[in-house]
Amino acid sequence: MTQTLSETALSETAERRLAIEEAAARVITDPENSRLAARLLAGLIADEAAEHGVRTFSESVAATHAAGLVADRLAAFVAAHAAELDALITGESAFEYFGLRTVYDRYLLRHPETRKVLERPQHFFLRVACGLSETVAEAAELYGLMASLSYLPSSPTLFNSGARRPQLSSCFLLDSPRDELEAIYERYGQVARLSKYAGGIGVSWTRVRSRGSLIRGTNGHSNGIVPWLRTLDSSVAAVNQGGRRKGAACVYLETWHADIEEFLELRDNTGEDARRTHNLNLANWVPDEFMRRVEADAMWSLFDPKQVPYLTDLYGPAFDEAYRAAEADGAAVRQVPARALYGRMMRTLAQTGNGWMTFKDAANRTSNQTARPENVIHLSNLCTEILEVTSDAETAVCNLGSVNLAAHLGGGDGLDWERLRRTVRTAVRFLDRTIDLGFYPTPEAEAANRRWRPIGLGVMGLADVFFALRLPFDSPEALELSTRVAEEIALAAYDTSADLAAERGRHPSYDDTRAAAGVLHPDHYGAATSPRWAALREKIAQTGLRNSLMVAIAPTATIASIAGCYECIEPQVSNVFKRETLSGEFLQVNRYLVRDLQERGLWTPVIRDAIKRADGSVQDIPEIPADLKVLYRTAWELPQKALIDLAAGRTPYIDQSQSLNLFMATPTIGKLSSMYAYAWKSGLKTTYYLRSRPATRIAQTTVAQPAAAVPAPAPVADPDAVACSLENPEYCDACQ
Amino acid sequence: MLLDPGMDLTLRPMRYPDFYERYRAAIRNTWTVEEVDLHSDLADLAKMTPEERHLINRLVAFFATGDSIVANNLVLNLYQHVNAPEARLYLSRQLFEEAVHVQFYLTLLDTYLPDHDERVKAFAAVEHIPSIRDKAEFCFRWIDSLGGLRRLESRDDRRAFLLNLICFAACIEGLFFYGAFAYVYWFRSRGLLGGLATGTNWVFRDESMHMEFAFSVVDTVRAEEPDLFDDELGAQVTRMLEEAVAAELAFAADLCGDGLAGMSAGQMRQYLEYVADQRLVRLGMPVRYGTANPFAFMELQDVQELANFFERRVSAYQVAVEGNVTFDESF
Repeated sequence: MTQTLSETALSETAERRLAIEEAAARVITDPENSRLAARLLAGLIADEAAEHGVRTFSESVAATHAAGLVADRLAAFVAAHAAELDALITGESAFEYFGLRTVYDRYLLRHPETRKVLERPQHFFLRVACGLSETVAEAAELYGLMASLSYLPSSPTLFNSGARRPQLSSCFLLDSPRDELEAIYERYGQVARLSKYAGGIGVSWTRVRSRGSLIRGTNGHSNGIVPWLRTLDSSVAAVNQGGRRKGAACVYLETWHADIEEFLELRDNTGEDARRTHNLNLANWVPDEFMRRVEADAMWSLFDPKQVPYLTDLYGPAFDEAYRAAEADGAAVRQVPARALYGRMMRTLAQTGNGWMTFKDAANRTSNQTARPENVIHLSNLCTEILEVTSDAETAVCNLGSVNLAAHLGGGDGLDWERLRRTVRTAVRFLDRTIDLGFYPTPEAEAANRRWRPIGLGVMGLADVFFALRLPFDSPEALELSTRVAEEIALAAYDTSADLAAERGRHPSYDDTRAAAGVLHPDHYGAATSPRWAALREKIAQTGLRNSLMVAIAPTATIASIAGCYECIEPQVSNVFKRETLSGEFLQVNRYLVRDLQERGLWTPVIRDAIKRADGSVQDIPEIPADLKVLYRTAWELPQKALIDLAAGRTPYIDQSQSLNLFMATPTIGKLSSMYAYAWKSGLKTTYYLRSRPATRIAQTTVAQPAAAVPAPAPVADPDAVACSLENPEYCDACQ
Repeated sequence: MLLDPGMDLTLRPMRYPDFYERYRAAIRNTWTVEEVDLHSDLADLAKMTPEERHLINRLVAFFATGDSIVANNLVLNLYQHVNAPEARLYLSRQLFEEAVHVQFYLTLLDTYLPDHDERVKAFAAVEHIPSIRDKAEFCFRWIDSLGGLRRLESRDDRRAFLLNLICFAACIEGLFFYGAFAYVYWFRSRGLLGGLATGTNWVFRDESMHMEFAFSVVDTVRAEEPDLFDDELGAQVTRMLEEAVAAELAFAADLCGDGLAGMSAGQMRQYLEYVADQRLVRLGMPVRYGTANPFAFMELQDVQELANFFERRVSAYQVAVEGNVTFDESF
């Protein structure tokens, strides 16, 4: 009897899951199906939690505590304020399906044996808030921002807040190991420990000697950095972040290192596999001197770091001088034409998306942390938005969170600025709190974070704001708005950090910062001339700052999914696309476009198929009006210059950096070299992936295909047809 | 003309630049088996029901031989008779891709079936599993249909060749494989077997191009020798597709009986009929079934992927890139 009952329950659950998947798969027909699927899923989650007796928030914390998943402190806090906290819980109405599904699959705490969830999504948000709070009022404030999807802390904080070992930081930056065996193995161990707790790793390898360098101890010659990076690659792949996501790391190398060419081949999928690292990301740490020589078509010297160990600790004119002196001394291993190497870097970007261009001098020149010559930034992080000083004794750390701009629409000129400022103030206070509450997997990370107290507040949903306000990405209004958003966030963040300094004290290394000398980040760009900045500068002169760095725009891949907005500052890649994640694939459709088309009676099966057939582009669909075509261009159709200009406009107000992806459907060396030279000249500190598209694609199965047109064989090639299939194999209808 | 017997070696002036562009596009899309991470699949396999496990074992058994059969026909028939050096460039590339697929499924089987005896059994599926043997025999019959013909002299020879070409594109790559892919994507839509799905995505991308190449050979022959195409050819192709659908349905019944949650036998039939219709439409022939696609999860195949690099390796990159360093190009 019991068995029959549970079998019935089982098949009922299976049917409900099926109904959810069906609704989710129909999102393209009408985005409202996403809400429907989310409502169905919310019901399923609530019932699943109820199987372990969880209905209220306090019950969920009691259950997760009993299962050994959360800290005693959190359980005691919740037990002491159960009624007040339970009353804070709101419904799940803010979620889109994909967001809720992501939370369900990966963030909700589960019973160790039954694997059933022990909390609902809103319980999860309030649990995260309580894990960072000292009072119910504080918890209510942060919970309110999360429940309305106005602000979300980064994934490590969402995963671990309130846990027994709360590793709350997103990124770790490790200086290059010293050029000796023990130091290299010690670094592997640090990377593994940091990776285990869901952090992304950036690590430099610039100090390690290059191929052919003499090893005194054995009188042999070094094999260079590649074998070491192979070991790092395996180590990173082996560390699975608690099954929640794979470990990930990015290796930085300065452009003068003599192994640079082999480094650039590490991600190729051809060639000798013993010299490939399929799991590591690669980034170039590029000095200005290199870019100047590329411009001048001059030679570039490559060095063995063993001969010039000081170069990686210098930047600006001091680097230029030392580099030229080393050349004059004949210390170079060899010389290459700067343009040949630059072309090779562009090729790597086009072929692998990797080999990110990050600029050493721009990163150091304006950093608040580099007031003293011994404090140097040697690399950025896994996502190229963090720029912090490192040394052998200090592993830089950053705790991140992002404001959802889409949730701040409103007000006379589009954004509710006062609400945005309030959100930023709350966010900064909680990010600062994570520094003290966090568990640090290595002493080097803890030492650095307590001394510098950097945080990285970013944004997401900029594309939503542009769509909602009908501003094309490359319009002057978009540039103005994006710059103002950055400025408002910086003003509110700095002001809050000054308040925190008054309440709780300055960060211990404050005297080593440029701010201590009265110079704030926008001052390097002449962008802090308004009275508001003058007042703030005066205030900081009195209070100091609680945090050495405050603003960084992270990619927000997962939390933007939860919030249901476009990622950070990114344009949309397509009006219709699928997301691949650990929990399967999901279809996404641009709901702003759908609403516009629905209003004009144009969201028909025929137009839907046409958009799918055009890979999510609306440009060549005759029925779609011109104004919508301009607004709903994809990242592949926007001039990339506009993305760089937007980033450059924000730069004065971003004291760390931004994860700036660039897009090119079919990259060529000419286009890439022009683009990255422009990015460098525009003063960008870092760039991130170069995104391109597959040269061929899967035949569409569910779009009605046009009947076979009979193409005449072409004894003489039609120049247009060839250009089309060459430049744009996927847009070319002849090939579909 | 493309099917004229001989060994044309002249690349300039190029008669069929489209074939050459397809060859170049394929090279830009090179992938290797080492890039596919099958590790996480093992955990998924461990928690599957016996029915699901059976489905998977049968499916990989089919994959183990499918691409080898296609490669054999390519060498024995297609390469011999498609007489343009640029088309043969493409076919050479296709042959390499079939080899990569064979290697992928070999690696997959070795990973999925650690037990030695099971593994041997899976590789011998063509001989002892009736539903797989029947599909293979369908293929062999068509491989042999040209009867070792060395030159396509007569109209009948050319008709026979066209049927062979269409069979491998529309029925084998275009239907058997499409049926098999649907199972993989059905698992993936439930968050399972991500490694298999990644490799399948890349195989699917290649197979789509093979099929399109074959169809554009058909288009070219139709333009050059329109009298080869008549209602009788259409009827033969339709019959061939009907047989393929029947063989694939028998395979489906062997895989999952009356079906599993979210994938019933009826839906599989609809899906195969729908795919068969698509092939007829592409060939400019009247549809046979008029059935709509029942699988919403196959819609996902039609749109761009946006992978979160923390989670999946992004496969959207190209291999060959050209040009020189300049500073004045627009971007």
